[in-house]
Amino acid sequence: MARQLIFDDQQTFLQQLEQLLADGIAGEHLEVRTPYHLSEVEALLGQQPSKLPFFALGGALAGFGGGFLLAALTSLDWPIITGGKPIVAVPPFLLIGYLMTILIGSLASFGGFLLLARLPRIDALVEEQDFDAHFIITIADEVAPCTTPS
Amino acid sequence: MQNSASAQQIEQDVLAAMSRPSRCYLACILLAGLLFLGGMALWGRQIALGMGVAGISHPVGWGVYITDFVFWVGIAHSGTLISAVLYIFRARFRTSFNRAAEAMTLFALMVAGLFPLIHLGRVWLAYFLFPYPNQRQLWVNFRSPLVWDVFAVSTYMLVSLVFFYIGLLPDLAIVARRRPGPVGKIYRLLTLGWVGSSQQWRHYAKLYFLLAAFATPLVASVHSIVSWDFAVSIVPGWHTTIFAPYFVAGAILSGTAMVITLVIPMRRLLRLEAYIPVTHIEAIAKILLLTSLIVSFAYIVEQGLAFYSGNLFEMEQFRFRALGDYRLLFWIMISCNSLLPMTLFVGRLRRNLAYLFVLSLLVNVGMWLERFVIVVTSLARDFDPYAWGNYTPSLTEIGITAGSFGLFFLLFLLFIKVLPVLSITELKER
Repeated sequence: MARQLIFDDQQTFLQQLEQLLADGIAGEHLEVRTPYHLSEVEALLGQQPSKLPFFALGGALAGFGGGFLLAALTSLDWPIITGGKPIVAVPPFLLIGYLMTILIGSLASFGGFLLLARLPRIDALVEEQDFDAHFIITIADEVAPCTTPS
Repeated sequence: MQNSASAQQIEQDVLAAMSRPSRCYLACILLAGLLFLGGMALWGRQIALGMGVAGISHPVGWGVYITDFVFWVGIAHSGTLISAVLYIFRARFRTSFNRAAEAMTLFALMVAGLFPLIHLGRVWLAYFLFPYPNQRQLWVNFRSPLVWDVFAVSTYMLVSLVFFYIGLLPDLAIVARRRPGPVGKIYRLLTLGWVGSSQQWRHYAKLYFLLAAFATPLVASVHSIVSWDFAVSIVPGWHTTIFAPYFVAGAILSGTAMVITLVIPMRRLLRLEAYIPVTHIEAIAKILLLTSLIVSFAYIVEQGLAFYSGNLFEMEQFRFRALGDYRLLFWIMISCNSLLPMTLFVGRLRRNLAYLFVLSLLVNVGMWLERFVIVVTSLARDFDPYAWGNYTPSLTEIGITAGSFGLFFLLFLLFIKVLPVLSITELKER
């Protein structure tokens, strides 16, 4: 059965996590929950940097291209000259591209976050757990009985 | 934050604000609700009787409604500044204001969004504006600043909404844990199953940074684009390159003033003095002072540009603003936005909350008048003296404006009882 270590104090929690890793328990056998973001945990567990910026970049590029094309193709679809400007007027259409860069970039980042953080998480929605106020280390089944420190 | 006892205390104190409402709170709700209902009734009257009940007519076709739209979009501005820009600069005082400022942004945008509809007149025909295949030979003109504005304000609304929700996510989990029963279940659903695992935090921190980075350029661009609704035209007093930075500074000034207007009573009403220290309010007051100085500089440059241009129409417009029929409003605007905020150079006044509260109200008045002066005076006196004409807002327009304030404060008052007004997670981290 998985074993849970619960801490009230950040320092003790970090020391214990370091100790567990020093005892040879691999990071993938540990699930760590904290009340706020701790970059020390990422460093200790040797987690790779988040791939979220790729979603942001993809969304931003798609938004820019999509925004510009939306304006250009809409104008070409019914080419009426207004204000003496060309049908495909680059400066104002770049503005639409710029705004769509921000919009689609942000939405793609949000979507990427849900995907990478595996949300919505149905089990956590159903089961009520007290996790917020404490620092918790859960040690997976296969290593818990024999290798955890007492 | 080191131990769980003080973490529990933070949770208790912040969530205590969401407990049973006091009489004072209920009185505020009642007042805001009545204002809102009054505004709605007047809008209903305008719909029933037609646009004649509003004071706008030739040559002033944009009056109080467009003033209100620009004012509320401006109010929305500070939310992003406080949330995103101060986050990127790691300003510690941000945690005292960011949640309230983000909520304020959303509510101000919701209110702003009503004004183009109110201004439309026959609101039941609003769907004519949508680009669907039709026989009226209408099509979207992407060369028009009004279309840029639609994109700018919608983008701002959606990005602000995502940013607000993401900031709330860990706090919603705390509320869900502390609220038993079906209410807690609703909050739990809103968390999407957030458990605060290291995997989730890793992506969360990156997402928050990315959203702040995406939102930061919006601080500069949204009100710039609103200003181009005016500046791209050729009307004297509007057609000037200074408009974009001038509007952005003004928007931050009015938004910061509104944050102060909301936070000072909220801090007292919800007993959050320990979490919103006076030093943090002083820091916001410094932003108010800085943006007031930028706005004052813009007022001077604007006059200078007009007279240096040698353009008779431009010169007459700026003479008219300062000395013409609307001079009283112009000078109140100068007093409220430029002269009074200068008193904040005195440290003692920056730390005097009663003074700051009154000053923030006056800056709000001044910023509303600034938009009124810009919108109305230019239309009242453009090129042709035969087309000149003054405008006085009707009671319907004034009532609908008061109703918009009612709606804004009503939404904010509901927010402080439904969601944590401070970021519990960031307070624990601090």
